Amino acid sequence: MDDNWGYVVAGYVITIAVLSAYGGWMWFRLRRARRADLDH
Amino acid sequence: MSTRVGVGTKILGAAAFVSLGALAVFALVVAPPDERQGDAQRLMYVHVPAAWLAYLAFFVTAVASVLWLVPRTRSTTWDLLAGASAEIGVVFTGLTLVLGSLWGRPTWGTWWEWDARVTTTAVLFFLYLGYLALRRTGATAQERGTRCAIAALIAFVDVPIVHFSVTWWETLHQEATVFNRDLDVQFEGFWMPFTLIFAVFAFTLLYAFLVMVRLRLAELDEGREERQLEEAIAERVAVTV
Amino acid sequence: MNMFREALLVAGKDLRIEARSRVALQQIVPFGGIVLIVFAFALDPDRGLLPRVAPGLFWTAVLLASLLSITRSFSIEEANGARDGLRLSGLDGGAIFLGKAAAVALQLLLLEVVLGFGVVVLYDVSVRGVVLIACTTVVATVALAATGTVYGVLAAGLRARETLVPLLVLPAVTPVVLGGTRAFEAALAGAPSDGWPWVQLLAAFAVLAVVAGVLAFGPLLEEDS
Repeated sequence: MDDNWGYVVAGYVITIAVLSAYGGWMWFRLRRARRADLDH
Repeated sequence: MSTRVGVGTKILGAAAFVSLGALAVFALVVAPPDERQGDAQRLMYVHVPAAWLAYLAFFVTAVASVLWLVPRTRSTTWDLLAGASAEIGVVFTGLTLVLGSLWGRPTWGTWWEWDARVTTTAVLFFLYLGYLALRRTGATAQERGTRCAIAALIAFVDVPIVHFSVTWWETLHQEATVFNRDLDVQFEGFWMPFTLIFAVFAFTLLYAFLVMVRLRLAELDEGREERQLEEAIAERVAVTV
Repeated sequence: MNMFREALLVAGKDLRIEARSRVALQQIVPFGGIVLIVFAFALDPDRGLLPRVAPGLFWTAVLLASLLSITRSFSIEEANGARDGLRLSGLDGGAIFLGKAAAVALQLLLLEVVLGFGVVVLYDVSVRGVVLIACTTVVATVALAATGTVYGVLAAGLRARETLVPLLVLPAVTPVVLGGTRAFEAALAGAPSDGWPWVQLLAAFAVLAVVAGVLAFGPLLEEDS
């Protein structure tokens, strides 16, 4: 039963990684838009 | 247009973050392991909400697509919302498949199963991947709105058809052994169902936050596209004058 | 002019273009044939697998060839501003859809007859349940042609259409492949009663696809791209 924890950890880590990556990408694009706005 | 998200969105984000943190505690520590699946069952607390989110997201895309198609309610916002929600939906569909696979391996012994739910989710993933590809063929809502809206509605109607046909196939299939696996997970006691419901709640907050941010981003991109278009036209006019 | 006559007009135009250019006959049908042969390379004929999976291979070959038919159906509208001509013709959008889908369906039926012979000969299949096979083929073809034509006009004029149409069509028509294959399997196994329910599913899909096409074609045709 204990070896199932490997799958659980993998699943939660992947979830956090994907959500962080997606959120981070959006945040990064918003910041780039902010800089472009300041240039205008 | 401001490149910052509104206060409401920030509050949503904070609430989502806190709930997800709490969920991690409930799911990994508080909730007991399942009798048969053991700790693998804890993946259900992310797999099920992810699937729910995907369907919610695609539902929002369908509604926004209808609102675009109806001339009286047509507005760029609906097209942008449809796209934003679909993108989030695809991310969560992919997550659903991966988490389901991670759950299936210790539980069923296989990484994949061609049953109705898994198969339909895979088809769903590609249906909306195609939709996202279609969205990139038009820089402004005017150019891509109608064809994307119709593609989204076709996809939305197709999903239950796919699910139904595969389910039907399962029930007609001769080999009972393959499809008689106990695919339904039991949530017993208090903490299991509580955690599951809390997970759905937390993920819904997350969806609301993500879609608002993604929509803002889409609005900025759209504004920039329209500005570039206007500038290009103005240049052309200046040359001819 | 009523819608049926208009559809006939459009179908006639498309079929006349095909009769003159012979693209379906000389390119798409041979493509279906070579797909059948590729399957034999991929699946090792010596292992007795081919006759068992013949229905699935048939419908996969038809599906892949239909992508070419659909793309072709709309690429003929690109020369000489034919698309604008269609828009300005005053023909009803739904009628144009029915006409184009019918032309594609007819070409697919021709393809399927040829591929049917191909499968029987190449994969050593004994044919049974001909009525079920014929009905399945007609209904599945209508479903395929109608769905494909909707996506065809949706992607028409776009630069990425050759890669978009396959990506859009394939997931959407998975129930057609499923139903067609299961019905064929029932027919060949001598148990047609198992197959007729699938024909009903295919028929329902076909009806939905045709209705969707009639409604959506007009607005899609009007789009500038």
